Amino acid sequence: MRVPLPFLHECTVKMTTLRAFTCDDLFKFNNINLDPLTETYGIPFYLQYLAHWPEYFIVAEAPGGELMGYIMGKAEGSVAREEWHGHVTALSVAPEFRRLGLAAKLMELLEEISERKGGFFVDLFVRVSNQVAVNMYKQLGYSVYRTVIEYYSASNGEPDEDAYDMRKALSRDTEKKSIIPLPHPVRPEDIE
Amino acid sequence: MAARGHVQDPNDRRLRPIYDYLDNGNNKMAIQQADKLLKKHKDLHCAKVLKAIGLQRTGKQDEAFALAQEVATLEPTDDNSLQALTILYREMHRPELVTKLYEAAVRKVPSSEEYHSHLFMAYARVGEYKKMQQAGMTLYKIVPKNPYYFWSVMSLVMQAISAQDKKLSQTMFLPLAERMVEKMVKEEKIEAEAEVQLYYMILERLGKYVEALEVVRGQLGEKLTSELQSRENKCMSLYKQLERWPECNALSCKLLLKNPDDWQFYMSYFDSLFHLIDQGWEPPSEGEHCSEGEVRSSVAQAIAFVEERLAVEEAKETRPLRGPFLARLELIRRLRARGCPEEQELGEPLELMFQYFIKFGDKPCCISDLKIYLDLLTTDHHFINRLMETVPLSEPQDDGVALPGDTRALQRHLCVAQLSRALGLHHALDTTGKLDLIRQLKSHYRHGLQFGKSCLKTELQFSDMYCLLASHVYIDLWAETGDETMLWQCLGLLEEGLSHSSSNAQFKLLLILLFCRMGAFEPVVDLYSSLDAKHVQHDTIGFLLTRYAESLGQFAAASQSCNFSLRFFHSNQKDTSEYIIQAYKYGAFEKIPEFIAFRSRLNRSLHFAQVRTERMLLDLFLEADLSSSLEDNVKSMGLCPEEDDIPWTDMRDNRDLTVLTSWDPADRQLSEEQRSFSLQEELLWLKVRFLTLRLVGTLAVLSHPPTPRNAEKAAENGVVAKPDILRPLLDQLNTTLQNGAQFLERGVQYPFLGPSPTRLAHALASGSCHCQVLAFQLAAYVQELDAAALEETTEVQTQISNSFKSLLIQLKEILNKCKGDLLEVKEGQCKTQPTLLENLVFFVETVCVVHWVSCFCAGVLRPLKASLQKRKKKKKEPISMVVFSGFQEFTAGLQSLFSEVLDHIKGQETSLTALKLGELTLEEWTVSHLAAYKQRGGREPLSPMSRDGLFMCLDQQDWE
Repeated sequence: MRVPLPFLHECTVKMTTLRAFTCDDLFKFNNINLDPLTETYGIPFYLQYLAHWPEYFIVAEAPGGELMGYIMGKAEGSVAREEWHGHVTALSVAPEFRRLGLAAKLMELLEEISERKGGFFVDLFVRVSNQVAVNMYKQLGYSVYRTVIEYYSASNGEPDEDAYDMRKALSRDTEKKSIIPLPHPVRPEDIE
Repeated sequence: MAARGHVQDPNDRRLRPIYDYLDNGNNKMAIQQADKLLKKHKDLHCAKVLKAIGLQRTGKQDEAFALAQEVATLEPTDDNSLQALTILYREMHRPELVTKLYEAAVRKVPSSEEYHSHLFMAYARVGEYKKMQQAGMTLYKIVPKNPYYFWSVMSLVMQAISAQDKKLSQTMFLPLAERMVEKMVKEEKIEAEAEVQLYYMILERLGKYVEALEVVRGQLGEKLTSELQSRENKCMSLYKQLERWPECNALSCKLLLKNPDDWQFYMSYFDSLFHLIDQGWEPPSEGEHCSEGEVRSSVAQAIAFVEERLAVEEAKETRPLRGPFLARLELIRRLRARGCPEEQELGEPLELMFQYFIKFGDKPCCISDLKIYLDLLTTDHHFINRLMETVPLSEPQDDGVALPGDTRALQRHLCVAQLSRALGLHHALDTTGKLDLIRQLKSHYRHGLQFGKSCLKTELQFSDMYCLLASHVYIDLWAETGDETMLWQCLGLLEEGLSHSSSNAQFKLLLILLFCRMGAFEPVVDLYSSLDAKHVQHDTIGFLLTRYAESLGQFAAASQSCNFSLRFFHSNQKDTSEYIIQAYKYGAFEKIPEFIAFRSRLNRSLHFAQVRTERMLLDLFLEADLSSSLEDNVKSMGLCPEEDDIPWTDMRDNRDLTVLTSWDPADRQLSEEQRSFSLQEELLWLKVRFLTLRLVGTLAVLSHPPTPRNAEKAAENGVVAKPDILRPLLDQLNTTLQNGAQFLERGVQYPFLGPSPTRLAHALASGSCHCQVLAFQLAAYVQELDAAALEETTEVQTQISNSFKSLLIQLKEILNKCKGDLLEVKEGQCKTQPTLLENLVFFVETVCVVHWVSCFCAGVLRPLKASLQKRKKKKKEPISMVVFSGFQEFTAGLQSLFSEVLDHIKGQETSLTALKLGELTLEEWTVSHLAAYKQRGGREPLSPMSRDGLFMCLDQQDWE
């Protein structure tokens, strides 16, 4: 999830067709997914999201037909415990279409869908080293709720990396209880 | 494995350890534990099934299946056994058995909601739509829950979609589905969004757009809330279907007022506008224009509408949206295409594009925005000059290049360079001009690196695209002049780029392409693996690897890359079925046909058919030695030569042929025509390969089970000779080769950054195809000899003997086409000759085919000779058998040919080693570069000469 977006105030230049992601887009997303921080998942992973949360999987298309970026998310958590929320699973924008505010727009859509579903907050995980993304999410109103130790397992012998669990409260959480930061980091097995 | 229930059943406790062993992959212990348990509790069926799972996972499929069937015939109704059997059957790729299982279970426990629902899902997994429809209704009758009812409805829709007879879909399945939903609507039982969505799907498929519109705009439509703008999008699509252009027009404008950046609605607005003009539409004298409100149906209104959107953007303090500015260009283009003079009211395209550049030139996407409209320009140079004047650059440096002072200026300058290329200005330069352009681009590239000093490894450098542009100009120069130095320079530049921007996929992709074209496959393996291409990417870009691995003699790598792709394709079938079931569960009905189409798109993938065929050919080539029998090989790969299971007429080309970035002018970009030619060519070559494979496979079928040794015997035993499959296949191969030659005569060329040509042209030129045809022809003669009475074989014996001779001659001719240096170095200039290597590979492949044919010949001739000797003993009339001596001469000839090949290869190795050693003398140069590169993270030295394995020939093991 890497979306350089240094100047948010001037980042409203999308000019895009926003539409539901479909299976056929999997054949066209190389320009987005050949990025080192964008994971290409197995087919089951995408199909699971498309089958369960199709409205949360949105792609942006340029006038020339190229895919610009996409967001993939889901709704989960217990309503009774006020943990029902939207989750951002993947957000990625092709290099050519960065610095346009597209990531912000896609986040906005995901938040709107989560609002409609009556979520209390939206959350996401991001590598602590991915400063660009962390800053972007901060500008979009997200704050670090907790640190998850060694959430990202590394290949090639490098150490595992921690993740920030970042959250933004939605209107249903009037007192913004959901985003009060936890005092201590947690381990991946402790998160739901 | 599935979580068990909460109530502690003693059996659960007993089974638990087996589950744990299976979950941890300890299959042996699972089997042991199951055996132990079964000694005490003979009737614990589930333990048997779990044991079967263990057996299945340790490769004992037959045992596993037998054990499973023992339990299945008892028709179990306990949860544990049913679930375990379901898992087992799925792993066995036998989902149809799950349906039998639950059919029995619901027979025994007819009121079980759970078993009925499992039965429905089991049918869904195998696509038994009619049975699903019934199962859904049965469920609904047991438990009247809406989803069950709509599962049944959806099963009807699936029957409609899958029906061969489209009339039946329209007159029976869909109307029935419609009535089923209508019933629920009348009874006011519609509950969920998914149900409305399904209703909409049915009406849409029935072409009942008016009714669909009523649903979407009516009370039911209010349930369509999950997806953003769901109702609006559906209305828009229906208006287009119904050609209700006034509504389409008004709705587009409404949506654009809400979001002036949503490109699709500009398109639908302009579409509707011209339809209305063509129809001479007039607004009604009073009342609303249409149900969606105001219609803007004249050119003047359209211009005004776009101008208003622009005015809003211009007045903004924040940076404006791009949409309205591009919409203006789009409108100009459409007006111009219709010859409308009003186009001029919107302004001069050059001026407008200039202004666009002023506003958005510092965005990387500016090039892709503007390139769509470049054809509106009349004077390219003037445009570029005007743009250039606005880019803030320093005073020219010593080398005469003026440089940008920050990343925004850099991006603007880069955009101008990209636009120049897209306008064909780079191509128009002469050699000196191009070299000077490269110099400037390199200078900009290197200068721009300073802005990205703090970039992370995962980020691109700001100036990377200059490097890529310069590489493209190098390639232009090479294409124009044939001067290979340009490609070597290009390799060096790209390696330099990669050393500063190690995650730049475009650098890697272009390097891969260049190395392959120059005949060096080894560096490609690492480059490709660093792209981390996975899963569906095997299908879309796997061709980059598979196209060249084999043709450049890297048989092991070729085999491996085919395996990667095959693993992906094989898992597709199972995976997709599970998510079709999920889609029923979650009511994502519109996704079900989509998933099925997706599954079929993967199953019909060109790349799939290619890797499947090549993988089997590679197996046969790699196993071509005397110790293994062809029959075993053919059997183990499950090849059935009689069968043609490739969907030739409906193949899907899933290759991503534009994965390499190109800023070439439109007329040099990959055209639709070239795409279709490329597919045609791939299919022709695939057919050649597939027929070759089947022909080799046929040899195995012919020699096993043993065919009757001669006609006499055959008559005696009453054995009917096998139907002749060799000749028809050989005829097909000949026809395909003719078609191939005809295709090549058209001289189709593809852009360098587009698809690579197939091996077809080289295969034909090398003579290997015809040599292989000759070999199969020989096999056909030998088969004839085998079937004929010995006395009547003079003619066919002559044919066989002649074939032996010609085969040797032709093989020798191919070998002659392999001679020469793979890499010539003259006066410090390198010249690669990849064709020599490719020919060598064709030679090897042909030798393998000849090998299998020879084995077949030997198999026939040996018993023949034995029976002849018996005959001699019986002192019958002697028969002249020239074939035996011919075969001996042939094998002797082959042997001397092989030693010649081995000498040739050793010679190649020696000269390549000499070149490498020769390079070591450039000590100072190399050492300094090495040091520089170690600083940059220990990459290999810059000089392409020292890229290890660049001159790699075939693996030694593949030869011996």
